[in-house]
Amino acid sequence: MVAYILVAPFILIYGWMFIYPTIQMVQMSFTDAHLIGAGKWVGFKNYTRMFKDPTFYKAVVNTSYFVALTVVPGTIVALAIALMVRRLKGWVQSVVLAAFFLPYVLPISVVYLIWNWLTNTQFGMLQGLIIPIVGEPVNIWRTIPWFMPGVAVITIWWTNGFSILLFLAGLRNIPQEIYEAASLDGATRRQMLTRITLPLLWPITVLCLTIQLILQMKIFDQVYLFAVGGRTQSTMVMVQYIYEQAFQKNAGGYAATLAVALFVVVVVFSVLQFQILRIRGQR
Amino acid sequence: MRFTLKAAVLAAVMAATGAHAKETVVWWDFLGGGDGVRMKKLIEDFNSEHKDAIEIQATTLAWGTPFYSKVQTSAAVGEGPDMMTYHASRIPLAVSESTLSEISADDMKTMGLSGDSFASATWDAVHVDGKQYAVPFDTHPIVLYYNKDLLDKAGLIGADGLPAGLDGLDNFNAALKKLKDGGNQWAIAQVTADGGFAFRTIYSLLCQQGGTIGTDGAWMPGDSQDKLAKAVSVLADWVKNGYNPGKTDYPTTVALFTSGKAPFMINGVWEVPTMVDLAKQNKLFNWGAIELPVLFDKPCTYEDSHTFAIPNNAGKPATAEKHAAVLEVIKWMEAHALFWATAGHIPANKAVTDSADYKAMQPQATYAKLTANAVFDPKSIHAGVASPLFDAAGNAFTAAINGETDPVTAVADMKAELDALQ
Repeated sequence: MVAYILVAPFILIYGWMFIYPTIQMVQMSFTDAHLIGAGKWVGFKNYTRMFKDPTFYKAVVNTSYFVALTVVPGTIVALAIALMVRRLKGWVQSVVLAAFFLPYVLPISVVYLIWNWLTNTQFGMLQGLIIPIVGEPVNIWRTIPWFMPGVAVITIWWTNGFSILLFLAGLRNIPQEIYEAASLDGATRRQMLTRITLPLLWPITVLCLTIQLILQMKIFDQVYLFAVGGRTQSTMVMVQYIYEQAFQKNAGGYAATLAVALFVVVVVFSVLQFQILRIRGQR
Repeated sequence: MRFTLKAAVLAAVMAATGAHAKETVVWWDFLGGGDGVRMKKLIEDFNSEHKDAIEIQATTLAWGTPFYSKVQTSAAVGEGPDMMTYHASRIPLAVSESTLSEISADDMKTMGLSGDSFASATWDAVHVDGKQYAVPFDTHPIVLYYNKDLLDKAGLIGADGLPAGLDGLDNFNAALKKLKDGGNQWAIAQVTADGGFAFRTIYSLLCQQGGTIGTDGAWMPGDSQDKLAKAVSVLADWVKNGYNPGKTDYPTTVALFTSGKAPFMINGVWEVPTMVDLAKQNKLFNWGAIELPVLFDKPCTYEDSHTFAIPNNAGKPATAEKHAAVLEVIKWMEAHALFWATAGHIPANKAVTDSADYKAMQPQATYAKLTANAVFDPKSIHAGVASPLFDAAGNAFTAAINGETDPVTAVADMKAELDALQ
């Protein structure tokens, strides 16, 4: 009885703030609601429209492309940085760690301004690196093939601090005795990395990959800010399309349909990924 | 002891003001730039002039989609402000969602205003189906900014001290070529990274050819589609010929103009304060701003209007006293619009623009005459600033201006996107 009373506040708030809106969203996806108001029941019309909507497929492809560019590469970069940071000692380690973690603290609007300024076609410093390679200044945010990789690099720069922290915590959890025993047995550094560090870090790696996957599937802010006013249809990602339909095109019902689709995709992918990674970890 | 003293003071204050309760007017606007600073000044002046009667409590929100979705959703649950600034171009959507209250003829009489107080296009822009939903405060068109020193050097300044020989597409392009060949890095700075922003220029050039963008179901009436492609190709040619930098965003165009790297810039009148401030610090060349030259058949420039609107707060209609206070605010603002003109915007109230003080204001007085030739956005729930129409323009025009598609294809794509809106 006491247990029920103790969990009741959580259940109530969770039900009210999460479960109820989710049910509402599914309900709304069967209506022609605008941004405000309830709308009429239209059956599966929004769903048939979605499956015939080229921009929806474009958004799915772009989101997947972005996930491919960020989740695994970002985790590898974070692991590499964590391994390097671990070898530093004392305040040097703190300073270097802070340097890597600092971007994570910034709000996305600041991240956007910094990078938009750095990459400006007329005055941006990074054009100094681009011009020798390409031969002319490139507006990364208006040149379609450059766009997603550009956003991916910035996202990794921005969010990596958190993964690095997770990896460092994982590394500190590996008992020193194992390394000592291994070096007594004549293991090389390389062997220690591949036979001890990486396998023992696997649970953390799974965690990082799952968090990253869910986070990056919900990509919105960066893409929206860098693309706004330009060729948004070509760089559309899923959450951005939901936003556009609901708030710009006043089509709440269709936006809810897209949100249901995203919800299903995220659930399926995270369950799949977690299962696959768990099975591999059990080898 | 101190507590009782405080209570006594409080009681005295309440007794003094209680005779006629002070009305507060909750005000929302989206004016974040140089014009926002000026609006704050106007609000302060209003509050000090009406110390005992009315107080405006102002909040500035993010411009564009965030502002309009917030207004829509809050009015629907009765939590909107008492009044707000609104773009005339966004009124059709607001009316279709019952977000705005109608402004009655009696209201206008109370404020001492009428249809005759405004230019006809501006007056028309605040009406939907014959009903008035807002009071125009200003119009803010795009204009052609020029660097007088560089134009003088190229022989493009006429006897009256204004740029000369720019009318007609061939003449204008010849002038750009002359400036470019004369050693300028660029001839003109027009935003090319944001087709939604460039819409303002392209729409003006469409109107100059006599073309229009229609409304739902008939977006490109008559030969407007060809004329729109023609208008797009004007900008695409500037980029192709190296007159205008490609894929260039808004802040960059302003920087190129103010640093003297581009003798011309097409931009909104709201950049006037930037130039005035730089000139005051002696950091700017001789400059001016004029109505867009006539590149095609007739003068025509895109403009929108900042208006005052009263939300239709569902379930919470304003009291008569509150309504009177809101009308007093609007009346006062309309009467004091001369100060607003320093933000570059053209006051909508003709009594202000006809005044001697305004006529002495430069370059405002030079370009203000363009309101007679102005065109507003089409009256559609899908049109206006930060609308699906701007979005479609962003997709189509950004690609075409920068040579990634040809103008004819881009305009056809844009029409398809607009036709798909529902």
